[in-house]
Amino acid sequence: MASESVARLIEQLTKLPGIGKKSAERLAYHILRVHENEALGLADAIRDVKQNVCYCKTCFNLSEGETCAICGDATRDRQLLCVVEQPRDLIGLEETGAYKGLYHVLLGRIAPLEGIGPEQLTIDALVERVRAATVQGGGFREIIMATNPTVEGDGTALYISNLLADIPVQITRLARGITTGSVLEFANKEVLTDALSGRQKF
Amino acid sequence: MSLEKATAIVLRVVHWSESSYVLTLFTRELGKISAVAKGARRPKGPFDAALDLLALCKVVFVRKTSGALDVLTEAKLVRCFRVRALGLGALNAGYYVAELLNELTDEYDPHPVLFDVAEAALLRLGGAAASAVATAAGAIAPAAEVLRFELLALRELGYLPTLEECVECGRPVAADGRVAFGLLSGGVLCRDCRPGKRQVVSLSRQSWQTLVAFARPDEAWRQTPLSREVRGEVRGAMGQFIAGIIGHEPQVAAYLER
Repeated sequence: MASESVARLIEQLTKLPGIGKKSAERLAYHILRVHENEALGLADAIRDVKQNVCYCKTCFNLSEGETCAICGDATRDRQLLCVVEQPRDLIGLEETGAYKGLYHVLLGRIAPLEGIGPEQLTIDALVERVRAATVQGGGFREIIMATNPTVEGDGTALYISNLLADIPVQITRLARGITTGSVLEFANKEVLTDALSGRQKF
Repeated sequence: MSLEKATAIVLRVVHWSESSYVLTLFTRELGKISAVAKGARRPKGPFDAALDLLALCKVVFVRKTSGALDVLTEAKLVRCFRVRALGLGALNAGYYVAELLNELTDEYDPHPVLFDVAEAALLRLGGAAASAVATAAGAIAPAAEVLRFELLALRELGYLPTLEECVECGRPVAADGRVAFGLLSGGVLCRDCRPGKRQVVSLSRQSWQTLVAFARPDEAWRQTPLSREVRGEVRGAMGQFIAGIIGHEPQVAAYLER
């Protein structure tokens, strides 16, 4: 039978996503085996992330101060705004290196079947941000809706674009269709419909 | 354990672990099922892009007899729900159809007629041709689709309120003035039966006639206008009636056009 401290550690690890009791036990015994500095380093990292990381007051990306590194970067295109659901989506887009504008993180998507409404996201802050930028003269020229290509993601994007309809800004969404490297023969007709309707000039 | 094939509408998608979903599907052949789709969030796999809300798909799954979740092994998309076709009103109507199917049906209790009704409603609300339909003359508004679906679903499941005669005595209700709709009684009440009944909603004559037209199996509902006043009154009455059946107000009801 494990000691009280080990049992507590296992119980805490079990609360992590994707970690069952067996995995939690394996991790706990690994932590017991490693050097004290390494184990305490993990504890310190968890403490630091909880104490230092917050949401950027402008874009709601994860940040270690009031403003995140992207919002504070003067070299970025400040007339281009990309709207994503989660900070993880922002990281994915940043890793492409193809986008140099600003972001707005919604912290979720509208999901009425799960009881998640627009008031639980950062949509009001987004509309306010776009409106304020327009009033101050440095408005956005384009807002890219990069919500997930799902019914809920598209619904969220549509809701936001309706709210921004009276502001003179171009609203676009990410392209969708056939995956690079795949073949038309095996693509389903819905994907082909998307690809045809979103075709581009050579 | 047996391998089953079915045509399904995706009613609910819950993220489970890093790459999997737990799904609630309404199948034509077997009724509602709950299944896990392992690895469904990975870009490549046997699930195509089929496991999105309100999508119509062909599925293959392993049926568990022990009460555990079924295991989805394959899904092929037949038709996805296109959000932008008719706008947010249609999307919320689609969500509502999914919620009612989920709340009103039991697992492994097939209702092929209800499935066909739901499939047709979702096609009109979010099919690829929905935007073309929207611009055509006589297009059906999402509010009308919702009301029609509600009443047909209630009919198919045996919950349809009695609308054309008094639910208590069977006599015709007076066609002049307002009509009493007894939520607990399960239908309209004549003036003689109305006194003493609890939870009674008062409907205008026009709202009552709208309910009657939309509940009939024929296509009379298509010729019945749904004005803003009637829509609000009917929505309120149907919302309360359905809440009485499922034990709570549907979550999506707050998003429906009134």
